[in-house]
Amino acid sequence: MKILEVKNLRKSFDHKSVHRDISFHLSRGETIGLLGKSGTGKSVLLRSLIGLETIDAGEIIYQGQRIDDLTEEDLYPIRTKISYSFQNGALFDSDSIFDNLAFPLREHSNLSEHEIEVLVKKTLSSFNLDGIEELKPMDLSGGMQKRVGLARSIILKPDVILYDEPTAGLDPLNVEMVIQLMKELKRQNFSGIFVTHDIPAAKKICDRMIIIKDGEIGFNDTVEAFEKSNDPFVKNFLMS
Amino acid sequence: MKNNFQKVFLTIGEICYFIRDVSRCLFTKPFYFHRFIEQCLVIGAGSLSLSIAIGLVTGLVMTLQFGYGLAKFGGILYVPAIVSLSIVRELAPIFTSLLVAGRVGSSISAEMSAMNVTQQIDALRALGTSPIRILVIPRLIACVLTLPLLATLAAFMGFIGGQLIALTEFDLPAGFYLNKVLQTIKINDITGSLIKCSIFGAIIVILACYRGFKTKDGTKGVGNASTWVVVTSSISILVSDFFLTKLLILIFH
Repeated sequence: MKILEVKNLRKSFDHKSVHRDISFHLSRGETIGLLGKSGTGKSVLLRSLIGLETIDAGEIIYQGQRIDDLTEEDLYPIRTKISYSFQNGALFDSDSIFDNLAFPLREHSNLSEHEIEVLVKKTLSSFNLDGIEELKPMDLSGGMQKRVGLARSIILKPDVILYDEPTAGLDPLNVEMVIQLMKELKRQNFSGIFVTHDIPAAKKICDRMIIIKDGEIGFNDTVEAFEKSNDPFVKNFLMS
Repeated sequence: MKNNFQKVFLTIGEICYFIRDVSRCLFTKPFYFHRFIEQCLVIGAGSLSLSIAIGLVTGLVMTLQFGYGLAKFGGILYVPAIVSLSIVRELAPIFTSLLVAGRVGSSISAEMSAMNVTQQIDALRALGTSPIRILVIPRLIACVLTLPLLATLAAFMGFIGGQLIALTEFDLPAGFYLNKVLQTIKINDITGSLIKCSIFGAIIVILACYRGFKTKDGTKGVGNASTWVVVTSSISILVSDFFLTKLLILIFH
């Protein structure tokens, strides 16, 4: 069952075309790896999916509802269902870690402060981040900030999680930890789109791989097909 | 490539769109009351000492200048009226607003810019929250309400400063000075001054937040944004003061 669909998406910046014709869909419970060389607009595509970037043409459909033509105010409820995990965590640096995680709950749920406290602690614990509630983001390492960012993006139990390079710049131990977290989220039936240059990590997590090439979809198939592909472009990608 | 002329018009257009977006959020829920109180403390209470200093010094200097100037023509008795009217109508609102533009405008701009370049504003949007509602509206209302209070305090301190100099330098009794001030200052003067301050407060916050939301180029951009906000809001305050004064004269006189 399609949960998110992109049809003939086009996007350019100052007359420089980034996406010429992008079409794909995401099924419920599925995780897609979104690959491509640097500058091919993977993050721009991810941001476009929740309206952080406006698109020039095409359609973005979430659960049968077209969302690309919604106003910023109308997009806010959608963004609680399609969450975005930023590359650097994008934590609110003047707030504590507790307040960072409590923020979406205070904004979009009717939970009491006690219930919020319980849920925040439980979520942090599931990400192996116990005991950091009172710290500020600057007190944490880059890897921990990414995990807190990931925890904040799932705390409202969204349908879709958009991961923007969650393993970039991390040491192997932290990479493995993030992979295990993403696998666990997948087991809990979260759908996801995983933008990455880390092909081994993508192969471990994803059901399908999409490669952006020259502003279009260059490859869109299962991980098995990705590995066995004879396409020189895909082979080149795998070699890298 | 856009030339400077086009850039100026583009910026004015963007500011108009920003004001439209702010206006839409201004009268609709949710309103972040605790953030408004927080900003009242930051903007209002944080600027108290500046306001006291600028008011007192203005009163001292103006009375000295007018006192010695008018004494030559035997017009010393007019000093309380002239000084108090100048302070209430122009000097207190303008000086206080310029100081707040420097202190608060640059601070808001730096904070917004830093949040923008570290994607915290995008994170707010991605979490389904309007950055305008949570960041701009509390600051706007706080500045619109506290700036008139700060200017009132500055004017009050100006009277005290003026009275002090009038007494020590020109032997004008404190009772006479106070009586002349109360006879001269009309409610319209105070109302006009408060209206001006509120508008200046709105100008400072709108420009600071607009520029903060538009900042690019990392830390260099943050610095440039602060400078732009102080310069632009100071010029905007001075230019709009002329038109506001003309308008208020038409309304009240």
